[in-house]
Amino acid sequence: MLESGGGDLSRLVTDTRVHRDVFHDPAIFELEMERIFARGWVYVGHASQVPEPGDFLCTRIGAQPVVMTRHSDGAVHVLYNRCGHRGVKVVAEEQGNARRFVCMYHGWTYDTNGDLDFVTQPEGYPEGREPDRVRDGMGRIARVDRICGFVFANLSAEGPGLRDWLGANVFCLEDLAASAPDGEVEIAGGVHRYMYRGNWKFQIDNLSDMYHPAYSHESSSRPSGRQFVRRKGDKGGIEFFEKRGRVKSMDPLGVSALPNGHSWQGGLPRIENNSDIHRDYVARLEARHGRERTREILTKTRHNVIFYPNMAMQELNPHIRVIRPVAADLTEIFVYPIRLKGAPERMFREQIRILNGTHSASSMVQTDDVEAFARAQQGLATTGNEWILLAREGPETLDHNTGRVRSIGTSEVAMRNHYATWLSLMSRG
Amino acid sequence: MGNPGDAALAELLVTREVERFLIREVGLLDDRRFEDWIALFAEDGTYWAPAKIDQDDPWEHVSLFFDDRELMTTRLARLRHPRVHAQIPPSRTSHAIGNVLVEPPDPEARSFAVSARFVMLDYRPGHGQRSFGGRYDYRLVRAGASFLIASKKATLLNCDAVHEAISIPF
Repeated sequence: MLESGGGDLSRLVTDTRVHRDVFHDPAIFELEMERIFARGWVYVGHASQVPEPGDFLCTRIGAQPVVMTRHSDGAVHVLYNRCGHRGVKVVAEEQGNARRFVCMYHGWTYDTNGDLDFVTQPEGYPEGREPDRVRDGMGRIARVDRICGFVFANLSAEGPGLRDWLGANVFCLEDLAASAPDGEVEIAGGVHRYMYRGNWKFQIDNLSDMYHPAYSHESSSRPSGRQFVRRKGDKGGIEFFEKRGRVKSMDPLGVSALPNGHSWQGGLPRIENNSDIHRDYVARLEARHGRERTREILTKTRHNVIFYPNMAMQELNPHIRVIRPVAADLTEIFVYPIRLKGAPERMFREQIRILNGTHSASSMVQTDDVEAFARAQQGLATTGNEWILLAREGPETLDHNTGRVRSIGTSEVAMRNHYATWLSLMSRG
Repeated sequence: MGNPGDAALAELLVTREVERFLIREVGLLDDRRFEDWIALFAEDGTYWAPAKIDQDDPWEHVSLFFDDRELMTTRLARLRHPRVHAQIPPSRTSHAIGNVLVEPPDPEARSFAVSARFVMLDYRPGHGQRSFGGRYDYRLVRAGASFLIASKKATLLNCDAVHEAISIPF
């Protein structure tokens, strides 16, 4: 068990193994909330979720309730969701529009940038004791930055800027925006929410895991060995099994580990879809970008992209997935569809339909993953072997410009990378 | 027009007939007779569980599911698979249906509307018992001595909650 922060933790992560305490120990979880979530860049939301002045969206950064707002001057802020007076959570609705935020307890009122607007019965605060507009406001989070509308926040003023933290993952957001005929994306169509009784890192690791699908998701495959067809016009579903039931390896797709814990799955093969919706989409992209650039855009070089520690994005059926740790053994996941502005309306409908089948709490794919996460939590209650094994590997190539290490699809290099980053973040004093 | 009592009696009879149909319908789910259950749907029938209260659009907003017969078949064939991990061991369910209201059929329309309330208990050994409930909205089509389901919408009271995996239809 954990005795004190810092040095102790290095014994929990080796080159190929991670100790069960990393998933089970509530003290480690508390430390993660402080050192990973409260001191680094964390995904908060998308600017399109607060389009108009006064719009707000409540969420969490680690264990802390926060509210993302659009202020009257158009700026996007992320505020601590607490009253400057006695600490009461001010905003109770998940989403909405407000001119000001009023605390229910004693009526203190805040601007949508978090500043204290006025205090009720001010005569009770004589000179020298008046609450301060900023110090006694809700409190703005130290750093907020965004790329293509994706808003990240950092509770700490120290450390690298957002672009430095994300590195080559910035290109993923830019490529996603470029795949919209109008060059912009927005969050639309609501949210899928699911939870599981397991550690948050199981979901992160799973999103770089191309070893599991044929085993975990076998029940969603057909006698042909392929998964159900997702998009009308696709040639077939994902191939899990070759002839005679042999598992088809996903090694050729590749997996990549990037600095700071980020990772990608894929490249994927170029989209071959013969539906009229897709042809319409391609035509709109070509009108904006020309044929060559459109061809590049349609060759998806990545599947799930992890923005360590709490977000993953998919370009193929555009959506983002937000990981919300609740406790060492409880995690919530929110999945938001992304609309490519300027794409055919019917394409968004297809996205929604596919996402229902793969990512909802009652989908045909996600249900097996969360079963695996819950069983991992149960299995790691055993003490005979205190370690999980992340030793799979294959040939690796290093891209010197970005620090990206690419290996075969079923390599666990991305997971080793998650835990190397985990250890370095957790070990900072 | 006949005796006003005849109309009341006709309404009573059709309500009872619809109730019996719906009791049988949800019973097929409890009995895991999934193929028989799908056969109650019209060829172009849909089965929908919204993810938002008052959701009237299954196309532009996500749903827990929105299945045509092909998707229903895929979903329920999966429950027959020997390695459907999320259902090992499988759920036992018990559906209760009540407050059945049959809207007066519009002679011009192909289908007529029925609303009801439901409770479903779901027990997976080793996992504790969960309860789901809410409102059913059906459109039924008369088919000989019985009905076909043109659409079934199951709106959970907590459809927008953060759910653990849900595998059995409501």
